[in-house]
Amino acid sequence: MGVRSVISEIRTPKIPRPNRRAPQSKGFSNLAIIVSQPKKVIDTLAFSLFKIKSYLNHSSLSIPDFRKNDSRCPSTFQNLKEIAALIEVGSYVRELRRIVRAIRWTIQLRRKLKASVLSAFLNYVLVPGSELHSCLYSYLPKEDEQDMELDTATSATQAPAKHSLPELEIYCCWLVLIFLIDQKRYSEAKACSSASIARLKNLNRRTVDILASRLYFYYSLSYELTGDLAEIRGNLLALHRTATLRHDELGQETLLNLLLRNYLHYNLYDQAEKLRSKAPRFEAHSNQQFCRYLFYLGKIRTIQLEYTDAKESLLQAARKAPDAALGFGVICNKWAVIVRLLLGEIPERTIFMQKGMEKALRPYFELTNAVRIGDLELFKTVADKFSNTFSTDRTDNLIVRLRHNVIRTGLRNISISYSRISLADVAKKLRLDSPNPVADAESIVAKAIRDGAIDATLDHANGWMVSKETGDIYSTNEPQVAFNSRIAFCLNMHNEAVRALRFPPNSHKEKEIAEKRRERQQQEQELAKHIAEDDDDEF
Amino acid sequence: MDPKFTEVSQIFQLFKAAFVRKDFDTCIKLLSQLKVMLTEFKSLPPLFEEMPNAIQERTLARDIYEHAVFLSVKIEDQDALERDFFQLKPYYTDTYGLQPSSQEHPILGLNLLRLLVQNRIAEFHTELELLPSSALENPCIKHAIELEQSFMEGAYNRVLSARQTVPHEIYVYFMDLLAKTVRDEIAGCSEKAYDSLSINDARQMLLFSSDLDLVKYIEEEHPEWEIRKGFVFFQRAKESAPCKEIPSLQLINQTLSYARELERIV
Repeated sequence: MGVRSVISEIRTPKIPRPNRRAPQSKGFSNLAIIVSQPKKVIDTLAFSLFKIKSYLNHSSLSIPDFRKNDSRCPSTFQNLKEIAALIEVGSYVRELRRIVRAIRWTIQLRRKLKASVLSAFLNYVLVPGSELHSCLYSYLPKEDEQDMELDTATSATQAPAKHSLPELEIYCCWLVLIFLIDQKRYSEAKACSSASIARLKNLNRRTVDILASRLYFYYSLSYELTGDLAEIRGNLLALHRTATLRHDELGQETLLNLLLRNYLHYNLYDQAEKLRSKAPRFEAHSNQQFCRYLFYLGKIRTIQLEYTDAKESLLQAARKAPDAALGFGVICNKWAVIVRLLLGEIPERTIFMQKGMEKALRPYFELTNAVRIGDLELFKTVADKFSNTFSTDRTDNLIVRLRHNVIRTGLRNISISYSRISLADVAKKLRLDSPNPVADAESIVAKAIRDGAIDATLDHANGWMVSKETGDIYSTNEPQVAFNSRIAFCLNMHNEAVRALRFPPNSHKEKEIAEKRRERQQQEQELAKHIAEDDDDEF
Repeated sequence: MDPKFTEVSQIFQLFKAAFVRKDFDTCIKLLSQLKVMLTEFKSLPPLFEEMPNAIQERTLARDIYEHAVFLSVKIEDQDALERDFFQLKPYYTDTYGLQPSSQEHPILGLNLLRLLVQNRIAEFHTELELLPSSALENPCIKHAIELEQSFMEGAYNRVLSARQTVPHEIYVYFMDLLAKTVRDEIAGCSEKAYDSLSINDARQMLLFSSDLDLVKYIEEEHPEWEIRKGFVFFQRAKESAPCKEIPSLQLINQTLSYARELERIV
């Protein structure tokens, strides 16, 4: 749990309430080590953690608990009704966090959605005769008549006497959309999402923005699953423009990521980079969107041969990603491995042994082996063996670029092991298959010397390569430079963490009454519990 | 549209005839005329409207631009080549019913080669990503890719021998340019790698036909090399002094930044 729970525990009014957007990265626990704690504080922490645990076991929290599956737990329909109520309250008091919470609860319910429940919910929430209602209703199959009767019996008591809130309408659109996608009815999902986007164009409320950003994501997803991504590019660009005009930062972020994904899907790296460089940048609102952005940025930089930047972005994306997002972590790691190989460094074995990723990363592991040994033949065999995997990952062009690195590594090994070696032998060891290996080897070695990869001189008349002795590295600046990069990283991480602490608006104005404090404490515990169970948020 | 179409076709025939005759001035004039007339057609990019004879118009326009590309290579104008290629590109990517052109792959390969010669390797790779894997088997494109690889690895003799095996005679111009770049690279590498080279060897490696050319090249490009007793000595006098200077400014900056950041930790 680490420092996050620590912060949520230290409950004096002066210390700000953390938002769950605190970075959940492994580096954070490193920070705890760096920012050393005196022993007394650690004892307080341990005691507080113990207090939390006991409180949780005994308290009855006010939120509906969706994880229990026994009969006394409220039905899905009840839960949906509570969520709808929450959204209403949130939109009236204009508190965005309630809507975020509503979204989070919905995600937990996602597995339990059924057509009957949804149709009952639609009847409850939307005015039955409205256009939107009939449109959404048509997507739900009319099955399970008995269930519907049961639920309509309960809901018949409350006649929906209200006009539908725009938030509720968009929420219903979103609910039906994820239901359709989960049922794999992609073409219907496509139609539903286009209708929702059209409905969205008329709305301009901040409270709708959060729901809208989710809707954009599923809109793009439904088109991608049917293979028609190029069609919506114009729409996405227009939506991005509107979001920028309305200062809807979450929407901007989401749409930028969707656009980048669109371009990268078709390999249009040039256009993606142009968009990315011109789009307005700001503090990330959503961790998941930031991770995605970093990943796309890393991809673009890799193709443009800027490997250092690419490595930084990809590694950051892999680190910040929530543990539950396994697929994302796998692909980030794949690209990160290749970029590191292209930079000339060999990734450690532990990267390939991460839980759940072993099988997927196997081809890359063998590739790393081939590069590490510096054997061109092995490299070629591995590349051929896994060529299918590489082409599905779209990394095959990058693998081709690796050939150069294999040769460099081989050369480096040779230069370290031999003080003097003839060029013919070098060519033989590198297994260069070419008509004139000695001349090739000579020019390759010359270039490697020029690039600083090896420290040697060539003797053309005798046809050999003489390696220089490697001096004592600790007498140079090298260790200091390495230390500096690590220190800078840790300090950066600390600054980012401090900046990520967010203050809820107007918190300094409210006076805490006992009741409010209790409610706040409950919410903090709920927060801690949710963070502890990892981000299940499938955004 | 028909009279315009026939007019354009006629002028295009004239253009082709002048091209074969190697009368490049007429070609350039006719080309500008053709380009202006092409703007009248609505079925071409960027409008892409569907007119009755859209396909013929697009095929004709594509032919015109392809010839424009070849012309710009002949008159050795790289900017014109770039412009014409960009105008040609939509015809390859958004085909809308056109038959694939026979010149497509040579021209794509030509563009890749141009980027390589101008040392725009990032764009080279970006363009490469856009090609489908079937295109990568084509000899023209494969040629460009192998060239880039040899260039990156440093096997320059392979680059130079590839000049003999151009898949298309239009590439010869760029191969010459490439030879010049390669020569500069070889010179740079040899400087660092060798202590000295005999005149013969140097001449062979730098691909000069006579010693005189070699001496002239050295005088122009690398005046710091010495020629003594039939050997070329690459100046290695930039031996670092035995006691290196401490990079004090950098260290001071770093330490100050540490102090500042640590102070910020509450």
